[in-house]
Amino acid sequence: MKRLLPIIAVLLALLTSCQRSDYEYDDTPLGNLDALWTLIDQRYCFLSYKEEQLGFKWSELHAKYSAKLNPSMSRMQLFEVLCQMLSELKDGHVNISTSLDLGRNWSWKEDYPENLDRELRDQYLGTDYHIGSGLKYTILPDNIAYVVYESFSDAIGEGNLSDMLAYLRLCNGMILDIRGNGGGELTNVERLSQRFTNEKVLVGYMCHKTGMGHDDFSEPKAEYINPSKEIRWQKPVVLLVNRSCYSAANIFVRNMKEMPLVTVMGDQTGGGSGLPFSSELPIGWSVRFSASPSFDAKMQHIEFGIEPDVPCSLDESQAAEGKDSMIEEARKQLQQQ
Amino acid sequence: MKRLLLPALLLLSVSSFAQTELEPVAERKPTASSFLLGIGGTNQLDTYLSPMEYTGTQVSFMTQSERMTHLANRHISFQSTFFGAYTSTDNPAETATYTGARLAYDAAWHYNYSPFRNFNLKGGAMIGTDLGFLYNDRNGNNPAQGQFSMDLSLSAGADYSFSLWKLPMQAHYQADLPMVGLMFCPEFGESYYEISQNGVGHDIIFAHLGNALSLRQLLTLDFCLKRITLRVGYLCDIRQSNARSLKYHDISHSFMFGFVRHFQLMKRK
Repeated sequence: MKRLLPIIAVLLALLTSCQRSDYEYDDTPLGNLDALWTLIDQRYCFLSYKEEQLGFKWSELHAKYSAKLNPSMSRMQLFEVLCQMLSELKDGHVNISTSLDLGRNWSWKEDYPENLDRELRDQYLGTDYHIGSGLKYTILPDNIAYVVYESFSDAIGEGNLSDMLAYLRLCNGMILDIRGNGGGELTNVERLSQRFTNEKVLVGYMCHKTGMGHDDFSEPKAEYINPSKEIRWQKPVVLLVNRSCYSAANIFVRNMKEMPLVTVMGDQTGGGSGLPFSSELPIGWSVRFSASPSFDAKMQHIEFGIEPDVPCSLDESQAAEGKDSMIEEARKQLQQQ
Repeated sequence: MKRLLLPALLLLSVSSFAQTELEPVAERKPTASSFLLGIGGTNQLDTYLSPMEYTGTQVSFMTQSERMTHLANRHISFQSTFFGAYTSTDNPAETATYTGARLAYDAAWHYNYSPFRNFNLKGGAMIGTDLGFLYNDRNGNNPAQGQFSMDLSLSAGADYSFSLWKLPMQAHYQADLPMVGLMFCPEFGESYYEISQNGVGHDIIFAHLGNALSLRQLLTLDFCLKRITLRVGYLCDIRQSNARSLKYHDISHSFMFGFVRHFQLMKRK
């Protein structure tokens, strides 16, 4: 029995020892930077792509930013250093959320003209437009349907879509204006996309990280849009976009690019093709990062946006006359078809 | 009372039954049924949700019934355990909270052996299933993690009867060690959207001692006060997994208290 006791003790110790986290860092400036750097190093899905496109080396950034730390720095100072490090990624899906501020890099829209005047857009909608959950729509004088969808976070039901398309069925074409749409739910993207095709369409691919290595990814899985079983739109569509079309709106543009009767018009979209995950730091701040990349139908990255079929921008002189040059261009295009 | 072994313990308080159409006494199956409530501390880690360990409180209940069967010359007992727990834990900075719940059912068959008076050893196999979730109140696209497992476990324990302050008492100890089974585990960065597209079956994986080393230990003491058998105890429940580069653990230590009922199952003739 005496011989067995050490064996039993070791077995019990093994059995009761628990899995420890991979991120055992102190709540110090350096501990938080270590935790953030490791989190991105292991879980961020665009690291290799961004290193190639933006010319930085993530492995070198730890030393660069840890040199800016000191043990007595304030929380705000630490926040700024951590945000600077994350800004190197130029990703709108990468944020630090604190009670102090939201750390962000919105250069994907802030560095470009907005190409949207909301007051002007409201003039086209008028006052007697319809509201179907998140969709606003009306019929313009030249019998063109004008639909505004400002956020994919605004739920749209099948009933909303069917009623809208039934109301607009006699129009010659549709302008679907998603300028300023910063994204939302992918289920709304799929639901709306399904109204613009009569056949199953390959729209892109998606994968996710399977391990901590920079290039540990699952096999890309093809994404298809199946036609809706309800009313579907059968006429030309101009999809108006700008740099603020991000995340789910970017995915919607990707989908609509593959639809036969759709023309994408406006500026390049903002991008944001990584489905974000949340995590956190020892200090308690929440961190969001891109975890699962999406690609277009040709397996190309769309993280930095999608180019329109017809480039077009808002003309300030026409705006002064009460005209949205992008909507006007879309109307011309639809009248010619 | 000193001669109490497990079967005898089960007869500590036997209800009276009415009578004539029931099966013969020799064929009756003495059953001990316990109902326990628990409260304790827990430590949770789920790297799908957060790299931080969360600590807090667990409240739980456990109902357990045990009876001897006719198998192996009445040496094999059958034990049925239903366990439920609710947890609320915070991250170290207390800026986020996990809310969790678990329901588990286990069925075990033990071979009972009495090496000496008042002492019973038992060992056998257990099958069980576990279903639960862990919800983080501030995560965006990965706010919760589902938990599911089915295990085949080794189960062993001991019962010891004694008297203290002229009160008959019995101490029980049981340890359950899952050996093989199935468990739900998403891939490292797999999103809900992809899980729904790929099907949950894609994320049911083989569990074994190498990737899901877990252990449940329950130590209890039964004692009679008047006609009631009370039970107090300590439950140490360690659930762990390390698969697909994701780590999970839920380690709880609970004080359990409740009562035991002893009765006989009888079939009508």
